[in-house]
Amino acid sequence: MWTDEPTSRRNFLARNAMGIGNLALATMLARQNLLATSPVKPVAAHSFDTHARATPSEPKAKAMISLFMHGGPSHMDLTDPKPELTKRHGQDYQGDIKYSFVNRASKKLKGTQWKFQKHGQCGTEISELLPHTAGIVDDICLIRSMHTGGNGHEVSIRYWHGGIAGVNGRPTMGSWLTYGLGSDADNLPAYMVLKDPGGNPTDGPSNWSNGWLPPLFRGTVLRAKEPRIHNLTPPDYLKGELQRQNLDFLRSLNQRHLAANPGERDLEARIESYELAARMQIAATEALDISGESAATKKLYGIGEKATDEYGKRCLIARRLVERGVRFVQLFLAGQPWDNHTSIATLLPAICARTDQPAAALVRDLKARGLLDSTIVHWGGEIGRLPVTENHSGVKAKEGRDHNGQGFSCWVAGGGFKGGMTYGETDEFGHRAVVNKVTPNDYQATVLHQFGLDHRKLTFQYNGQEKSLTNNRDCRVVNELLKS
Amino acid sequence: MLRCVQILVLTTLHGGTALAAAQLTYEKDIRPILREHCFDCHGAEKELKGNLDLRLRRLMVKGGKSGPTIVPGNASDSLLIQRVRDGEMPPSGKKVPANQLTILERWIAAKAPTARPEPETIGEGLGVTAEERQYWAFQPIRRPRVRNYPQVDSPIDALLLERLKEKEISFSPEAEKLTLIRRAYFGLIGLPPSPEAVKKFQENKSPTAYEDLIDELLASKHYGERWARHWLDIAGYADSEGHTERDVVRPHAWRYRDYVIGSLNNDKPFDRFIAEQLAGDELAPQPSGDLTPQQIELLTATGFLRMGADGTGSGANDANGQNQVIADTLKIVSTSLLGLSVGCAQCHDHRYDPISQKDYYHLRAIFEPAFNGAGWQPAGRRRVSLYTAADRKAAAAIEKEAVKLSAERNRKQKEFVAAAFEKQLTTYPKDLQPKLRAAWETVSAKRSAEQKQLLAKHPAANVSNGTLYQYNKKAADELKGYDKRIKDTRAKKPVEEFIRVFRETPGKVSKTRLFHRGDPRQPTDEVEPAALTIASPPDRQFKFKSNDSNLPTTGRRLAYARWLTSGRHPLTARVLVNRVWQQHFGRGLVSTPDEFGKLGEEPSHPKLLDWLADEFMAQGWSLKHLHREIMTSKVYRQSSKFDSARAAADPDNQLYWRKPVARFDAEIVRDSVLAASGALDPKLFGPPVAVKADADGQVVEAAAPTRRSIYVQVRRSQPLSMLTTFDAPVMEVNCAKRPSSTVAPQSLLMMNSQFVLNQAAQMSERILKEAPINPLPAFAFDTKQLTAMLNAGWSFGYGRYTPSNQWTKPFTIFPYHDKSYWKGGAKMPDKILGHTQLWAKGGHPGTYAAIRRWTSPSDGRVSFEGVFNHPSTNGTGVIGYLVSSRAGLHGRWAIKTKSANTELKDLKVKAGDTIDFIVDSNGSVTSDSFSWTGGITLKSATGTSSHWDVEKGFYSRDSFKSLPVQDLPKRIARAWELAYGRAPSAEELDSALEFIRRQLEYLAGHPVEKREPLKLAMSNLCQSLLNSNEFLYVD
Repeated sequence: MWTDEPTSRRNFLARNAMGIGNLALATMLARQNLLATSPVKPVAAHSFDTHARATPSEPKAKAMISLFMHGGPSHMDLTDPKPELTKRHGQDYQGDIKYSFVNRASKKLKGTQWKFQKHGQCGTEISELLPHTAGIVDDICLIRSMHTGGNGHEVSIRYWHGGIAGVNGRPTMGSWLTYGLGSDADNLPAYMVLKDPGGNPTDGPSNWSNGWLPPLFRGTVLRAKEPRIHNLTPPDYLKGELQRQNLDFLRSLNQRHLAANPGERDLEARIESYELAARMQIAATEALDISGESAATKKLYGIGEKATDEYGKRCLIARRLVERGVRFVQLFLAGQPWDNHTSIATLLPAICARTDQPAAALVRDLKARGLLDSTIVHWGGEIGRLPVTENHSGVKAKEGRDHNGQGFSCWVAGGGFKGGMTYGETDEFGHRAVVNKVTPNDYQATVLHQFGLDHRKLTFQYNGQEKSLTNNRDCRVVNELLKS
Repeated sequence: MLRCVQILVLTTLHGGTALAAAQLTYEKDIRPILREHCFDCHGAEKELKGNLDLRLRRLMVKGGKSGPTIVPGNASDSLLIQRVRDGEMPPSGKKVPANQLTILERWIAAKAPTARPEPETIGEGLGVTAEERQYWAFQPIRRPRVRNYPQVDSPIDALLLERLKEKEISFSPEAEKLTLIRRAYFGLIGLPPSPEAVKKFQENKSPTAYEDLIDELLASKHYGERWARHWLDIAGYADSEGHTERDVVRPHAWRYRDYVIGSLNNDKPFDRFIAEQLAGDELAPQPSGDLTPQQIELLTATGFLRMGADGTGSGANDANGQNQVIADTLKIVSTSLLGLSVGCAQCHDHRYDPISQKDYYHLRAIFEPAFNGAGWQPAGRRRVSLYTAADRKAAAAIEKEAVKLSAERNRKQKEFVAAAFEKQLTTYPKDLQPKLRAAWETVSAKRSAEQKQLLAKHPAANVSNGTLYQYNKKAADELKGYDKRIKDTRAKKPVEEFIRVFRETPGKVSKTRLFHRGDPRQPTDEVEPAALTIASPPDRQFKFKSNDSNLPTTGRRLAYARWLTSGRHPLTARVLVNRVWQQHFGRGLVSTPDEFGKLGEEPSHPKLLDWLADEFMAQGWSLKHLHREIMTSKVYRQSSKFDSARAAADPDNQLYWRKPVARFDAEIVRDSVLAASGALDPKLFGPPVAVKADADGQVVEAAAPTRRSIYVQVRRSQPLSMLTTFDAPVMEVNCAKRPSSTVAPQSLLMMNSQFVLNQAAQMSERILKEAPINPLPAFAFDTKQLTAMLNAGWSFGYGRYTPSNQWTKPFTIFPYHDKSYWKGGAKMPDKILGHTQLWAKGGHPGTYAAIRRWTSPSDGRVSFEGVFNHPSTNGTGVIGYLVSSRAGLHGRWAIKTKSANTELKDLKVKAGDTIDFIVDSNGSVTSDSFSWTGGITLKSATGTSSHWDVEKGFYSRDSFKSLPVQDLPKRIARAWELAYGRAPSAEELDSALEFIRRQLEYLAGHPVEKREPLKLAMSNLCQSLLNSNEFLYVD
């Protein structure tokens, strides 16, 4: 890490006391960076901030929106066509399979019941369940060889967020990004989480935990309903002039106190933080208000349509947030709606209908506004699903698919990722990633790389240990996915 | 000659550090690098990758399968350098950084010297080298020699002064008394001093006033509450199990919290405190019969080892889940008492400190029998009942009584039901009766189809326990009486309470095995209990009996506790005193309180650290003594004021030339707010205060907050928002050092949260009732300016219009107000005022005219537009007068069953001028209800415009209205005292009065429904004080 106490203090002074702009600041930080990389042991910092910082290398991406699809989207029904599987539908699978639900396990291969078609100039095949995603294939980089190795939800969720399969209590990638980069949004939190009105996703608040990074780098949860940020606005009777008078009076108290304690930077910082809070009240309220968006934009996201209204609004808010400099936004669904053990024939189309249009709209909208080049959009779950039938006493309508962390898909768009490509392959049944396997650690290393960060060097001193997102595990930046 | 050449080469290559290169040795410089990157595969374990052992220089020269690893004198030909440089080694994980590679190269180039001849043979594992043993933290604690300086008495000061003098600076002058008492209060009890306490201290001229204050606070029962918080952070205290999403509540953990508070209050010697927490069960004689208070205390103490998050009672009871619990507990023990992170040795030898993987499992073996000697005990089974034999006997006797009552009740019930049936039966034809009886008497499952049909046909014959009340209410009520008696009887049983314990089951000893790579599914060799090798005396590892025959239990933890507190352990006392120093000065002498190993920071003042540790032990491990030593020193008592000369010599105050300014911990912030508002309940101990998520999803207290923060439930998944916002830890495992952040969410919370707003309002009520104890400063503000503001806007009264002078006389405020009316009293008509009254839109004249008065808050020009209406077709109608105090009558309207437009244009007014809307009856007083709506607009001299709507301005005014304006400075002064412990300066009082004036001015024009302006303004003033830096920091 290239901030320590002196840096952040200097940062504060640069912004406030001397009024030096961000450019000068970046230079100062870069210099600090050079100094801080040489000692073997980084100095543990005592105070932190989220002011934007310079990165070791030139960043391609400035912001990221992750659409996390808890439960394990069924890749062979959505993004990874397997004609051989379809052909041998009903036959017994010959290989070994690890099941989570042994009681309902079967070896009967289950071909997809949905049609795949080539789309776009690239000709990527996408299922009829994702008609809108099919419309953006030329802008997305579809990875068909994801691999976590573990089939359980939490095991893989923690791998995706925290870097080690199954280990809880680690900081998420969003925390690392904001810790490493700060944020351009002076008046908004750097890392924001948009929760589903239905409640927490599986594994709860760990999904946006700062772990042992300072609490400042925890995801700020935007609640599904108003107030979307806690304590953001005063009660009506204080709004406006009265609170302004309060803050003026408070400042006069604090200035007098500061005059008696000259040079106390913490006191100065707190005076500033009240001003920031006041600005945030306005900025966040404005950022979350989508009423000014055009009818065409709302229609694009499916706002006003029953199936897509809620998720569409959140996708639109996500765009508004990154437009305003927020570094990392992640959207969650309640529970794990992609966990289609049962009745996949009806439940999978339902969750697709809810999310497909808004997700695709986000990519289109960012592109139309020229933001896609600098914004990474990620879509995907923690695992995929098995090519065999999960059997419910032979009731056909109730058939589903069990967990599969051995091979599945996700897609990434923008932020220097190549559009119109697919990468990696699963075997002929979609069971295991066999060509160009990509792990969550590879994904994390690649995302950090696009932000100008080196996953091995972005570290934090905790309990005397030098910690990092990928935890020195064997992984790589997947250069094949990136625009040169 | 040869040597010279070599140096020359090195100089050329590496830019002139030849001398340093010549001094590199295997032991001092090379081994730490190999330990960090290579020993996992090449030395630490029996099995050697590539048959290569790097633990000695000669073994490196010998090499492994691929040949010699080093060629002394030739770095570039050395395999080690080639492999490392190419990134082939280490094969995974972190690469060897360039500066370390350079060291390796230089060492080889210098012919790979060793510090001393290498041993002939080498045992298993990495062992501990003399160099590693030399590390400061593993040296025995030695009382340093303290120099004499005439200007200081305290050895603490002398040891600090030694370093200050090197820079030719000295301590800052002593802080002001107000600062001293605030430091002492917040530092020792975590609560603000009352204004009375401050005054008393300031007026106390005794030369020992300060020392006496420290003693007084050390004796305070609140001392334990404050210092328990620090210990509970390190112990990882929580009232829930965590680990799984459900985060099950831990119902009895709070007794451990109370144990800690009580122990600290009693200044229990810390060695004893540690022994009780590690081995209370082994100290307590095995219980036979009732637990004595001492046994209860000792068993409660072991709650320390039950603090880790634990999912084994809520769905994660597998090898991994159990292993995690043990690992977390070891982390709590090692960070709290050893200041070392032993956790990484769970999987492999520590990469930086001489802690082998085996050492880790030695430690684990100390605790293992109590975890799973008698099988793993999930959460519910770890409790011990506090029932005494007498309780049990009493409970059994009561139960017997209840059972007896219950039998009696059931017998009666049977009789009642049978009787009711018989009675009902008589209503059926005689011939049907036997059949019905037979059917009814048969158990429903055994009834024939015919019987079922019969009963279905005659539903009223289905008399049952449940329907008895419909046939015989009296009988049913009698049964209800029985139910109540049974319930009341059972309620008389003594309440059964529990403590949460960690204890061994005598005779049940489990084996500890080293887990290959830390994986509990791959157990290997058995490991005996022992202390860490490096923290043992150099000649031998501190081992102890794996089963002490003098104790029913193994005695392992007791033996370990005795070793830790023996006075010979190099870490325990150092770690503890460092933490105390950290709390008093914001940073420890070792700034990494839970990492005294190589990855941590070295002590800034090693001699002081040792003096404190030695003194602590010499004084019987008395924490209170340690506080007294520290807090009476010059370094603690000095001012925090910045000083440019001293700062030039030591910009970061590393040498303590001033006391650092500190922001309060979350708990102090919250407790101080409660203290200022008067809401704080000083009660000690007890079950935790429940928390809940409020409508906005913030975690708040379930009931109105009154208790100190330490008593608020610590739910891992639902930590109190107020506390976490100010950096209180969310307990994953434990917390050795809290960050101190300054972020906008804290400001938003202080500005907008219900908690702060409510407390500010409560504080404003409080200052109304309390007088300041300090004299008021000579402020300049003219309070008369406020009179107009206070009266500004609407008031509601009765009186007469006097035509002779076009004036209202008398005007009296209505004596009575309820939700919708101002009037003479609760009863209508009132004895004196008759039907005279006002409501939001209008009113009714009676014995007097009903008068709505508007008072101008400032100079300006006033307009009014409105509609005056008398709706009734009965009576004689009403007369309305619009009268101003400055210009007399502006309009008169006599109306009946009709409306009149009423207006006033651009009247010049001065602050305090009034405009009255007088409505009197025009003859008879019947059917005189009227409405007069509209609004007044004031354009002030400064150009601002405000509007007073008649209807919206109809609100009650309470006690504040009667507050004499000249009293306001006193109220404000009291607020200052409660927030800051001092009186305001004249300038501050002036600015506060001006603040109130501005608020009143604004509120006069923008009345807030249901909120009296002055009350709101005073609440806002209080809130600003609570939000201010002087409130949140101590200097």
